[in-house]
Parts: sequence; structure tokens; C-alpha cells
Amino acid sequence: MTTPYLRVRNVTKRFGHFTALDDVSIDIHRGEFVCFLGPSGCGKTTLLRAISGLDIQTHGAVEQDGRDISALPPAQRDFGIVFQSYALFQNLTVAANIAYGLENRKRPKAEIQRRVTELLELIGLPESGPKYPGQLSGGQQQRVALARALAVSPGLLLLDEPLSALDAKVRAHLRDEIKILQRRLGITTIMITHDQEEAISMADRIVVMRGGRIEQIGAPLEIYHRPANLFVAEFIGAMNLLPATRIGYGEIQLGSARLACAAEGYAPGAAVRAAVRPEDIVCTGKTNGHANSLRAEVREMEFMGPFFWLSLGGGELGEHRLRAQLPSQRARDLDLRANDATHLHIPAERIRLFPHGVGHG
Amino acid sequence: MAELALAAPRIRPRLGRDEWLMGGGLLVLALYLAVTLLLPLALMLAKSAQDRDGAFVGLANFARYFGNPALSGTVGNSLWVSALATAITIALAFGYAYALNRSRIPFKGLFRLVAMLPLLAPSLLPAIALVYLFGNQGVLKGWLFGESIYGPIGIVIGSVFWTFPHALILISTALGTADARLYEASESLGASRWRTFTTVTLSGARYGLISALFVVFTLIITDFGVPKVVGGPFNMLATDIYKQVVGQQNFQMGAVVSLLLLLPAVLAFFVERWAQQRQISSLSSRAVPYQPKPRRSRDGAALALVAVVAVMILGVFGMAAFASLAKLWPYDLSPSLRHYDFSATDGGSWASYGNSIRLGLYTAAFGSLVVFIGAYLVEKTRVAKPLRTATHLLALIPMAVPGMVLGLAYIFFFNAPGNPLNFLYGTMAMLVLATIAHFYTVGHLTALTALKQLDPEFESVSAALKAPFYRTFWRVTTPLCLPAVLDIALYFFINAMTTVSAVVFLYSPDTTLASVAVLNMDDAGDTAPAAAMAMLIVVTCAGVRLLHVGLSRELLNRTQVWRRR
Repeated sequence: MTTPYLRVRNVTKRFGHFTALDDVSIDIHRGEFVCFLGPSGCGKTTLLRAISGLDIQTHGAVEQDGRDISALPPAQRDFGIVFQSYALFQNLTVAANIAYGLENRKRPKAEIQRRVTELLELIGLPESGPKYPGQLSGGQQQRVALARALAVSPGLLLLDEPLSALDAKVRAHLRDEIKILQRRLGITTIMITHDQEEAISMADRIVVMRGGRIEQIGAPLEIYHRPANLFVAEFIGAMNLLPATRIGYGEIQLGSARLACAAEGYAPGAAVRAAVRPEDIVCTGKTNGHANSLRAEVREMEFMGPFFWLSLGGGELGEHRLRAQLPSQRARDLDLRANDATHLHIPAERIRLFPHGVGHG
Repeated sequence: MAELALAAPRIRPRLGRDEWLMGGGLLVLALYLAVTLLLPLALMLAKSAQDRDGAFVGLANFARYFGNPALSGTVGNSLWVSALATAITIALAFGYAYALNRSRIPFKGLFRLVAMLPLLAPSLLPAIALVYLFGNQGVLKGWLFGESIYGPIGIVIGSVFWTFPHALILISTALGTADARLYEASESLGASRWRTFTTVTLSGARYGLISALFVVFTLIITDFGVPKVVGGPFNMLATDIYKQVVGQQNFQMGAVVSLLLLLPAVLAFFVERWAQQRQISSLSSRAVPYQPKPRRSRDGAALALVAVVAVMILGVFGMAAFASLAKLWPYDLSPSLRHYDFSATDGGSWASYGNSIRLGLYTAAFGSLVVFIGAYLVEKTRVAKPLRTATHLLALIPMAVPGMVLGLAYIFFFNAPGNPLNFLYGTMAMLVLATIAHFYTVGHLTALTALKQLDPEFESVSAALKAPFYRTFWRVTTPLCLPAVLDIALYFFINAMTTVSAVVFLYSPDTTLASVAVLNMDDAGDTAPAAAMAMLIVVTCAGVRLLHVGLSRELLNRTQVWRRR
């Protein structure tokens, strides 16, 4: 295993009595795209500002490329940064904005010119050099900000909620572009976001944060399918969380149904919370061909286009409520309507158990 | 885990070139403000507790002041005259602001312009005009029913005149930010017009009114020009300082009166800051601007009010202009420029006018430079937080210090024999320093507002691009803030031209000023030349104001292409 490009070790940041970051450690490898994800106030911005040196941590170390940069001012570190507000210099042309960092390195004029042209093409705005930022759309401005940050070929790219100020369509488009650009340049990138969809679709690894601590670090699939705790389970995607009891070996009782699942680590009789994603619940209608099944009634059906939201209750579920996603095509085949009784199949490996009573704050 | 983090050594951020330079710049600024502001004031505080020989006497000077009814009676005089003039100013300014913001009268731009005219004149000008209008040979003498203009009447009228635009700006801002939704709600709930006025209009403008009340009161009680010219035998605190210091050379008693004068100013300062913060938070970003609908009765009354006030303002300027041009008031009224010669008077000369222009230009140039760089350092320095806060507080002090007080403090400080800066005493440089210090706060706040409108991450981006802060300051921050810098320069220039209070203690025979010349010529009985000099100041300020408008427009056209979409 190669040594990590960026090492954050035991970083703590206090503002007076408030602890914004509490003993955070992460290793990030060269060329990786990492997202810091969490609700506002979780410490993701504070961590980014500690890594950049804009707001240096109170304790702990940051190493970049084998160099201890913990106490260095931002100007002595090696990073490019893009902000939600773009922070483009409004009185300079697009070309001058991109050239800003290059001019400072006393490169020859012709070389700067060449690099600016190259970057303008890279971001798909080859004609926009002489324009002023105010004449561009939000998405275009953010691309210019990205080009300005990349112009000096930094070792580390920091993106501070770069897409949050844009409207949905532009956001989705730019999301792909940034990802493609990052792969092509192979630049180590950290992006902070509060949008889980953004994090899942862009990141190689996601760092889920809450209250100044790291809740889980992992690849998007891992975070989605094997959340480490209730907070991550609820924060990422939609999740049913139902109270259940562990009964025999590898089995839980949910309502009056018995379901098989991996239940290591819980004593028989222990109260647990069973986590199931709505899309993992398979509606089989009147037929019951599966082992891990239970009966319930459709309370409500909400048509969403490609699928229905089902609200299920009664039957073996009793008082519990379950939300399921039913593909529209399957709903047509089953001819399912509100108040119908149906069998539900929940694959054993799609049920995850968490200790009962530890809610998220 | 927490224990582990605690045990780890605390990170001590290392400082780069930018941090050293900015921190150093901040320190220089703090020292500058300490020398030109804090130390002189501290010394004055000390002087008030000393006798003539410099021995410490505690509160003996204060006891002597309040034990002498001839002196302490002034406190009462100052209070009631200032209160009366403030009440009249606020009432008139509220009516005027209401007419401009909440009615459909024609020529609003013109009326606004006329109301701002007094800002271009020293406070001495209305006082001199009053002498011509209501003095012993005044054209409208009969209107006073035998009362004399010299005394409370003259002080009140003159004070109302020159503080009117100050009140109007503050109240107009408060009335200009009305939320139409509140009026619609009030109307749909069936409230009467009067009820809507008291519950919506007045309560929406209350912080602006409170703020204007205190600011105007302080302006009047600390003003020196009006009572000096039309006060006659009636003593006010500001004229008392002048008499104690210039007349009797009793600096200690001057310091005592100064401290008394400082009280309302300090109080006004805190009330104003409090009101400002409330005013801002009361308007949400979702408010809908209020558009008044035409209403005959209201619009008629509003037009009558603004017309009367505007005619009075123009009348005062017209009187001063006429007096300065009449050959020999009141006997020969044929036009002549002889009063603009000044060679026959010993109070002033064209050299004073030249000095004033120089003072205005130096103050505008150095003042806006110091103020803008200073505000930048206070706002943008990443290190030395306590120093930033301290410097910001220092920059706010001048707003609470009357000019007379600052001028006296400068005498104590710069004329002290042991002071290495003693060589500045009596020079143009000291007048410039005093004037910058006197008007520092407004410039500082203007610059801060402009800087806060910029993206706060400019400095982060430029640090990431390894650009030194001064490069971004020069190429980005300053061009973006240029309109604000021009405003600050204009503010400094006009105030340097019109102020009397601080500089009246500080000029020397080589550095006489136009505004002080107005005072001295009037004092010597050369009233017509005094009026002429006052008019020169007005015309110069108006000219520079026009130049400022043109320059700003040209600047927008040429260098600020980026503002166009």
C-alpha cells in the first residue's frame, strides 16, 4: 500500500468552548475524489478550512505529500480552491481571472496565453476569454472558477459546495463535467457537500460527518448498503427503521412475522431496529413464493412516474408502517390497488440491524 | 479520545509574508490612531484634573466650574436651546422626508437637492445671513416683534438650518425602506389613516427618528459657528471653551467644559449605533417597496411644506450671496465685487482661501488613503484578532468627539514641550492630521460597508493562487471599491472646507483658513467680506461636488466595463 497523499491526523478545532472538529483522522490517496458529506454544522467546512490553512486547527496534524503543513499559512500550501460563490474577480476578464495565478509565478506571457487558451477549451468556453464574469451564467462562472484554480496545476483541489448555488439542471450537468475533468487530470480532490446524491454520484469515497466527528468513511456503495450506524442509515437515501426483537439464531420478529437476517452481536430477546431500504422490499401480490415474507395491506399508493410509493401496514406488520418502492410495470402486472392485501418479500441480506433506542440527534 | 486531543500540543499557526505585512500594517494604523486621537484625548482628560502649573488637583476644576454660576449657567443654556432647535429640526425634517418618500409631489429630485445645500456651507453662513435678515439693519427685522436675533432666537434658527440635511438623511433612510405589505395589511384590517400612520409609518421609522434626534442634538450642542456669530451675550458650552482658551488662556477650564461637551456626544454615539443595528434588522429581504398612491389633501400639504422649507433654505443662501455682492449694505445695494477683495480686512485673505483648498485636497488624498487601507486591514487581516477589534474601536471614537474637544486636545498634546512631534504644531500637516482624525469614522464605516459587499473569499482564492495580498488589493479590491473611495474623498474635502470647530485652535498665521477667516472677519465687524468668504466656500464645495458626480460617472463608463451586462 502506498503512503497516503493527504493525511489528517487527530485534528480538533475549538472556537472558545465550542468544539467544531473532534479528533478527526482521514487518509486520502493520490488521485482520489473524496466527498465530505453531512448536515450543516457537521464540521465539514471547518475541516476543509483546516486542510487549506484558511482556519488552522487547534490540535492535530495535516500532512500533504509527506510534508507536515499543519501550521503553514495558505500561501505556503499547495492547493486550488473553488467556492460556492465562485469568488471570481468581477473587474477582470475571464482570461485575466484564469491567468491570475500564472502571472504571479512570473511565467512568460506567451506561455500564460497558451495555458489560458488550453484551460478555456478544457472547460468548454473557448470564446469567453475577453468577457467579464458578470456576462456569464452561474454554471459558466463556476467553470471559470474551476479553471482559475486548476491553472497553476495544484496538487490538491478543494471544492466548497461548488454546485449549491446552481439550479438543478445545470447542477447535474456540471456534476458530470467535474467528475470527468477530475478523472482526466487525476488530481486529488476534496469536495464538501450536503447533497447525498451529489456525493454518491461523484465520490470515490465519502466521509460522512456529524457534530464534528466522522460517522463513516467508505465507497458510495458501501455507505449506501452497509451504513455503519443509524445516523448514516437515515441520512443517506430513504430507509425504513422498524423496532423488532431478536429471537432464535439469525432471526428477528417484526410485528407478528419472523424474518431471517444476519443478527450476530445481539443476544436473543434483545430489542433491535431493523433497517430496510424501500427499493429492497419486493411486492409479490397474492402469491407467496419466498421464505422471507410477510403479509400486509396497502394503505396508500402514490404514483411517482417510474414507480409507486407504497405505504404498508396491518396484516403481520400490525401497527408498524413500511414504505416500499414498487416499479410501475410491476404494479401493472400485479394490478395492485389501495387496501389490497399483499405479500412482501424482504431478502435476508437486505436487512440490517442496529441497537434499539440509539436515535440520531 | 478528547483527552488524547487535549494532550497533543496546540498548533501555533506560522505566519507568512502576507500575515506579517498585514499585521504590521494594522499595528502602524493602530499607532497612528493612538497618536492622532487617543493620546491627545487622554492628555486632555489629565489636564482637567490639573492646575495651571500642572499639579494634580483632582476634581477641583470641576468644583470651581459648578461653583461659578456665570460659568455653569451655560450648561442650562446649551441644553434648552439645543433641545428646542433639535425638536424643530426633527419635526421639519420628518415632514420633508415624509413628503419626499410617501407622497406624490412633483420635483422630488430638486427638493432633495435644495435640502442638501446646507451641507456645502460652514455653520457660520446661516448665522451671517440671519444677521442680514433680522439684525439691527435687517430687511425682515420687524418679523421678530422687537426681539433681538442675537441670542437664543438666532442660535435656534441658525442651528435648524445647518443640521436640517443631517436629520433629513437619517429620517429619509428610515422612511425610504417601507414594506408595502404592512400598509396593505393595515388597510385591509380597516385601520384609519391616522392609526396606520402611528402604527406602521411612525413605528417603522422610530429608530431613524431616535438616531436623528441624538445626532442633531449633539451637532447643535457642540457647534461653535452659529452661537459665535449670533449668540451675542448668550453663552453656550462651545463658545465657552473658545472664550476660556483663546480669551483667557485658561486651558484647564477649557478642558473641563470639553469633558462636559463630550457627555452628550458619547451618549449620542451609543444610541446611534444601537438604533442603526435595529433599523437594519427591521427590514427583511422579502419586503415589497411601498409606492404611495396620489391623494390630493396629503400631496397638497406636503408640497406646501417642502416649498416653504426650500424657499427658506434658498432665501438664506440668497441673502448671504446678496450681502456679499451689495456695495454698502444697506445704503448702496448696487452690485460690486469689492467684498471679495479681502485686502481691506485683517481677518482673512485670498491666502486663507488657498490654505483651505490645500487642506481640503491633502485631507481628501491622505484621508481616503489611510481610511481605506485601514478599513481593509481591519476587515481582511486573518491574524491578530484583538488588534483588529482595538483598531476598529479606535476608528469609531471620532464620531463621539466634538471638534472643539479634539482641537483643544491637539493643543495639549502637540504643544507639549517634551513631545517629539512638537515640530508639527502650527503647520498645515497638523491641520490635516486633525481634520482626518475629526472625520475619520464616517469614512471608515463607508469603506467597511463597501468592503463587506465584496466576496469574502477573494483573499482565500488569492492566497491559494500564491498572489500576495497587496496585488489583489491593488488589482481587484481597490477598483471594485473605487466609487466608495471617491465618496470618502469628497466627504473629507467638503468637511475640511467648512469645519471651524477643531481647526480654530490649531491654525497659525501661515495657515489661516477660509472658514476661520469668516469667523474672524465677522468678529471684526467685516460682515460683508465674511459673507463673501462663506459664499466662496459654498461655491467651491458645490463645484467639487459636481466634479465628483462627473468623475464618478466617467469612472463607471471607462474602467468599470464589467458592471455592464
